[in-house]
Amino acid sequence: MPARTLRQLWRTPMACRVETLSTLALIAVPLLAQIPAAVEPCEQLRHHGDARATACYENLTHAKDLAVQAEGYWGIGNYKSANDLFRDAVKAKPKDPAPLVRWGYLYIDHWQPSIASDCFSDAAALDDKYGPAFVGLAQVAADGYSAKAIEFARRALGLDPRLYHAQEVLARVALEDNNEGKAAEEAKKALDISPDALDAMAILATIDWLADKKDSPWLAKILKINPHYGEAYDIAGHYFVINRRYEEGIAFYRKALELDPNLQKARSALGLNLMRLGREDEARSLMEQAWNAGYQSDETKNTLMLMDKYKDFDTFRTPTTVLRLGKKEAALLRPYFQAELDRALATYEKKYKYKLPGPVQLEVYPEHPDFEVRTMGMPGLGALGVTFDSVVAMDSPNSRKPGTFHWDSTLWHELSHVYVLNMTKSRVPRWFTEGLAVYEETAASPDWGDRLDPDAIEAIRTKKLLSISDIDRGFIHPAYPAQVIVSYFQAGKICNFIEQKWGYDKLIAMVHDYAELKPTPEVIELEFKMKPEEFDRQFLSWIEAQTKRTVDGFDEWKKTVKRISEYAKEKQWDDVIREGVRVRDLYAEYVEAASVYEFLADAYMAKGEKDKQMAELARYSKIGGRNPVTLKQLAQLQSDAGQKREAAATLERINLIYPKDEDLHKRLGALYLDLNNPTAAVREFTALVAMPPIDPAGAHYELARALKLANRIEEAKDEVLSSLEAAPNFKPAQRLLLELNVKQ
Amino acid sequence: MKALMSLLMLGAALHAETFYLTVAGLGGEPEYDQRFSGWAKDLDKLLHEVEPHAKIKTLYGADATKANVEAYLREVAKEAKPDDSLVLMMIGHGTFDEFDYKFNLPGPDLTAAELAGFLDKIPAHELIVNMTSASGGSIATLEKPKRVVITATKTGTEKNATVFPRYWIEGMRDPAADSDKNEIVTALEVFRYAEEKTAKFYETQKRLATEHALIEDAGKGDGVKVPSAENGEGLIAGRFALLHLGASAAQIRDPAKLMLLKKKEELEASIDDLKYRKASMAVQEYRQQLQTFMLELARTQAELDK
Repeated sequence: MPARTLRQLWRTPMACRVETLSTLALIAVPLLAQIPAAVEPCEQLRHHGDARATACYENLTHAKDLAVQAEGYWGIGNYKSANDLFRDAVKAKPKDPAPLVRWGYLYIDHWQPSIASDCFSDAAALDDKYGPAFVGLAQVAADGYSAKAIEFARRALGLDPRLYHAQEVLARVALEDNNEGKAAEEAKKALDISPDALDAMAILATIDWLADKKDSPWLAKILKINPHYGEAYDIAGHYFVINRRYEEGIAFYRKALELDPNLQKARSALGLNLMRLGREDEARSLMEQAWNAGYQSDETKNTLMLMDKYKDFDTFRTPTTVLRLGKKEAALLRPYFQAELDRALATYEKKYKYKLPGPVQLEVYPEHPDFEVRTMGMPGLGALGVTFDSVVAMDSPNSRKPGTFHWDSTLWHELSHVYVLNMTKSRVPRWFTEGLAVYEETAASPDWGDRLDPDAIEAIRTKKLLSISDIDRGFIHPAYPAQVIVSYFQAGKICNFIEQKWGYDKLIAMVHDYAELKPTPEVIELEFKMKPEEFDRQFLSWIEAQTKRTVDGFDEWKKTVKRISEYAKEKQWDDVIREGVRVRDLYAEYVEAASVYEFLADAYMAKGEKDKQMAELARYSKIGGRNPVTLKQLAQLQSDAGQKREAAATLERINLIYPKDEDLHKRLGALYLDLNNPTAAVREFTALVAMPPIDPAGAHYELARALKLANRIEEAKDEVLSSLEAAPNFKPAQRLLLELNVKQ
Repeated sequence: MKALMSLLMLGAALHAETFYLTVAGLGGEPEYDQRFSGWAKDLDKLLHEVEPHAKIKTLYGADATKANVEAYLREVAKEAKPDDSLVLMMIGHGTFDEFDYKFNLPGPDLTAAELAGFLDKIPAHELIVNMTSASGGSIATLEKPKRVVITATKTGTEKNATVFPRYWIEGMRDPAADSDKNEIVTALEVFRYAEEKTAKFYETQKRLATEHALIEDAGKGDGVKVPSAENGEGLIAGRFALLHLGASAAQIRDPAKLMLLKKKEELEASIDDLKYRKASMAVQEYRQQLQTFMLELARTQAELDK
């Protein structure tokens, strides 16, 4: 693959901020601002899909007015000249916001939304009564799923009620929140202003298609105005994809290209979504086509570069799974991932009473930015794992700082999605599939999943939890930075609440309700015989009672922990113990950095009270503490106290958090040998050999010992020879070699 | 070749003396003072346990002055013979101003040039392990043919406090560092251990590495991260016995075992030769021959150990 240099436009000399926003140009761009009168006829031709538009724009390139010339070059796809001319036009009329706004749209069209945003902001700064500037800001905000889109769109409409594109942005945001009623209302308002508002019609058509209505009357209306308007299907593709209905989304992108083969953004989106579903050959071909046709967005470039890297992965297949691991870590990770993948699938098959139609593909990315590109096309994603139908992509445990990521918990979370998406054919609201997946994490093991965190405490205290009918908004258009995380917590707790009050089968019944496209309020009434408002009341009362002690004591806990930290610094261990014991259980779920458990353990260690130190660390581990260093400390104490089984269990927890740890496998393998569990010892020493270790001779020797104990004599001989190959004079290995050969 | 090297090392261990000087410099603040002197004490304890007959001097806190370092090295210069060894381990902060490297000590600092002057008077084999920040700035001044110089940083501009000493000490303590399991821990083995562990520390913590350890024992060049026959580094360090873990040395004293030792050397040579030919052999054939040699070597060693 030739080196790809991203083609960018630079709005020099003005400063540009670099942000990562997805580019989803939903709206026929050139109509969005006040267009010079000379450009209007060309825009009309284009709006109607008339082939004469190109010649019309070509004529404009000879105009005297710089902004008109710029529009001409833009219209024929010469972005560079258009960019240069807009720069000159802005210089020539420094007080006029109109060319700045048009320049902004050029940047949106050229997949550089952050610079577009700067243009719109500059225009708004020049004239804060200029509505089109706020429409532009609304669009960029909507592209980035920012809740500010609504604020900007309303401001634009307040300044000029004729700006129907602002109305379209409102429709678009409402539909992303799965609020079809509001989306339709906003789209119709746009049509009241402009009966030719193609994107408003596309939104209305999409609402029909999402509801499984095969034929939407809106499509005929769109095609009557512009028979080549592929954007209508492109818009639909976007909504199907964000609703995880990837196959249908792909079908819409294909239709978009049938109508308009030059719609490269649809080609790129089609390629991206095919890649998500693991259909890499077609994905690569489409991405290459889009790239070569000049559509060189960051997403396209990143995706192509990622696909170039697939040669660095190994793929392992079983009848029910496809496991893709980075070559360098495959030997280490494969036994753990394969075992957990199989165990999770067997568990879910029973729980959900559902057999998946085909194999599940799990892709594990050693580099977090590659995972981000794999999932979003762009770096900057905070998630740890993402599911696309039956394909799961996730971070490798090695790509994160030890203790910050529980890979097995994430795996079980994502596999829950695989089942729910398959069972419902992806007709499930975001909140429910996330909530059930969060629930399943702690159902698999109580120390997995996420704990009650300070953001959730704050949300409960300030009554910021959303109603069940509205909770999807917290995932798609968060109103404050932590709202996505809080929404995960809330959704998970709702599932806990349902399971506790009505039983697990109710959750499965809800899965089937959603498969029939029933909306959440209807599902609540059907399953729980109450209005959503009553459900909210009961849930809030349940969650408040459950978290009362922590919510009420949070400030006191925070203040005291700060004091404890000071005491620990000064080695005032008695003070640490007195205060630590007093406040620890006010917020028992806190097991992150500087936890009370760890302060107390340090204090007990300093005082030589090993039993208490061990008890404190055992509490930390049981609640879900994940710092490998702390867990290894606990395992050592347990081992010293003769509690070898417990020590092994503690170290096993680290395997599910950060298995790239030589010392871990060495210690755990040795414990299993002591516990006469050769199978587990073989697994651990195999991992040690796969690291690769600092001491290969020692690692192969230990593996040989375990194999001998497991009565796998020929393999043991191979391993002891590997040990001696590295260190011919290694006496224990020499003795083992003699022993193994005597037995023969 | 390798067997011959091990005998040379054993010989050196038998008849020669090793002088260990550990110096922990100024920390500048209590946390670092404590950390540096703690490491020096750890080394002191370890050396007394593993090499009880060696000459061990450890300077930290107020005693770690330039005058005391100089005095001890003058003493070694008087006492040491060409077969003897000096191991100097420096812990703490260092600075480099594009010209001079300085080891921060209570009172006047010690420059690399001053240290080189003291060392040049010592006739013994020398291993200088400069584990301070900016220690890479000392290589050019300290390097000399047959002297092993190890630094925690690759240049004088890597100025952050280093973690290399932690892993150097761990390597001296951990039997895993003895990668060829001959019970002699060489400077090269501990360097490799500490270098890898230091790199892993930064990788695991997802932090930009602010130190890159180097080794130089050819007496010229900038030092390397990965010593090899190709870059000509590591040969002396691979023979420099830093610690002796087992009783191998005693076997050489017993004339009754000389025949067995000779046989062992021949077998080791055959194994080296076989490994050299590995790429050109069928896997099964190679494994078969390797097993034959290894079994014979194991039996010979068992006889030696009786």
